[in-house]
Amino acid sequence: MHLIRDVLDKQLIDREDCKMGRASGLIMQLGENTQPRVTHIVIGGPALWMRIRPGLRKLSTKLAHLWGPKRKEPVTIPWSRVKTVGKDVNLDVEAKETGALDWELWIARHIIERIPGGGSKEEE
Amino acid sequence: MKKILQLTLGIVTSVGGFLEIGSVTTAAQAGARFGYQLLWAILLGTLCLIFLIEMSGRLAAVSKHTIVDAMRERFGFPFFFFVLIGMVIVAFLVLVAELGGISFALQILTGIRFPWWALPVSLLVWLLMWKGTFSLIENGASLLGLVTISFVVAAFKLGPDWSSVGSSLIPSLPDSDKANYGFLAVSILGASISPYLMYFYSSGAIEDKWDRSYITMNRIIAGFGMTFGGFLSMAVLVAAALALRPKGLQVDTFPQAALLMTTALPRWGFYLFALSMLFACFGAALEISLAIAYFFAQGFGWSWSEDLEPSQDARFAFVYTIIILLAAVPLMLRVDPIKVTMLSMALTSASLPLAIVPFLFLMNDPIYLGKHRNGWISNAVVAIVILISFVLAIISIPLQIIGG
Amino acid sequence: MDSVISWLATAGMAGRAWLNHTTPDKYTRQTLELSHDSLLEIGNGLFKSLPAGVDSASLDSALTRSREHVALMARLVDQKDSPDFRTLLDSLSADETLVKQLADSIEAKEQ
Repeated sequence: MHLIRDVLDKQLIDREDCKMGRASGLIMQLGENTQPRVTHIVIGGPALWMRIRPGLRKLSTKLAHLWGPKRKEPVTIPWSRVKTVGKDVNLDVEAKETGALDWELWIARHIIERIPGGGSKEEE
Repeated sequence: MKKILQLTLGIVTSVGGFLEIGSVTTAAQAGARFGYQLLWAILLGTLCLIFLIEMSGRLAAVSKHTIVDAMRERFGFPFFFFVLIGMVIVAFLVLVAELGGISFALQILTGIRFPWWALPVSLLVWLLMWKGTFSLIENGASLLGLVTISFVVAAFKLGPDWSSVGSSLIPSLPDSDKANYGFLAVSILGASISPYLMYFYSSGAIEDKWDRSYITMNRIIAGFGMTFGGFLSMAVLVAAALALRPKGLQVDTFPQAALLMTTALPRWGFYLFALSMLFACFGAALEISLAIAYFFAQGFGWSWSEDLEPSQDARFAFVYTIIILLAAVPLMLRVDPIKVTMLSMALTSASLPLAIVPFLFLMNDPIYLGKHRNGWISNAVVAIVILISFVLAIISIPLQIIGG
Repeated sequence: MDSVISWLATAGMAGRAWLNHTTPDKYTRQTLELSHDSLLEIGNGLFKSLPAGVDSASLDSALTRSREHVALMARLVDQKDSPDFRTLLDSLSADETLVKQLADSIEAKEQ
């Protein structure tokens, strides 16, 4: 499988067909005598900005500490959770539990739901 | 039967949604200054747009990806982000222009000056985005936009010399004022070939759940819809050429443009113009806001759909909310919408390669389109027109800045 | 010069449209005022760039006259005074023609 082509930047979909962002990066494990293998998919922020300029990753992390959901670590999904890789990457996870939707939920709660007609995220 | 209904609706939507402040302003200025001479620019722009829209629909129907989905996946994040910045800046300026068009239409109807209308108008646009569904927006705005057919009626009533009209479909150079001519040609091309239309159309195809069975329908909608739309633009140019040019009346401001149909349609001409601009710009404002929000959401992989409640696609809703409110600010500060229009049309032309070149790559990629890849004609037409637009833009924009 | 002709034409066309009940009062008045202000603004810079030998005296008086007429017309809109309006409109047309002739002669001199 050509991981860069088939997984990187692809849309990630959870168990309930919910969009949970795109694969920003991959974490690989390099073995001594074995092929490097992918252990995790990285989602979101700093990993993404790093691809433009490595220095931006620090900046993005600093800014993320100022407002919004204050997350300490980047969101990663273990490779074992990947169900299928096709047009999108289907994952055997619940999006809300992974942290991938932290920003979505934060904006929904603090901004969108405060405006009349915005609705509310139902707890499933 | 259902498909025929959808087909009719699709064509009608395209026609009703074609005119907006950019196409009307550039066509009116062109007609007032150069008579029929710039009709070829509208023809060329419309032709290119037909191909681009058809491609946008085909990409969505076959690959189930929108243009932005495919662009991020094929070219990676840094490239996507670069295009995002470029496209959003230009689209934002066009949005300001459209809100300005709505506000000016209200000014000429009520006498209350446009800066006062900027915020209420922007809030109304936002409200429709907030509460509306995709079909409501797509169909509602475009059906109302059909009032722009009054331009065609006016043009016919003014009795154009059809052989002159026909011969102007072939490019020619004017005797004088070449810099202005070039700039107007660039602006007309930018007004016709708006990338936001492509992003909107491909997202719409996904919202409407198109699949391969829609390929033919897509061709017909793109072909007929955009062609009729192009006629509308040409009608504006012809009307200006016949009603305004003989008097030496140049369309530098919106109130001057409002006189366009007053001689052809004495009873209703003024009000038809105002309503046309009102509805056309409103539809365009909705489309552009959606296109910008789609660009962010699809590129970053957020959930997005106009049919969802805002809290279900919070980041998507957040983007269009911010964009629409920000767009009102320049207008409240009395920035002239016509100036913004001309600037944004020229910038659109100059930035076309940024949007179109990656798109052409995608349209030739077997991974996304399989056997439905572009034929050589599609590639050739688009590539040539984009090249012309870009070269003209590089030459005339600096000249225009120096000249005026 | 093209701008001058354009704004004179604008005032004329708006005036005529108003007499035909094609355009509403507020729009007509605002457009006439806009024409007046634009003519004033352009007029200030115009005379510096004219070639020699042009009858600038005639041009100046035609412009001043038409500007005043446009301003008067704007006021008359509010008063719904048609006959005087018509008279002013006619003299505006005459000035328009005069200015066009002067413009043509300027163009001829420039070439």
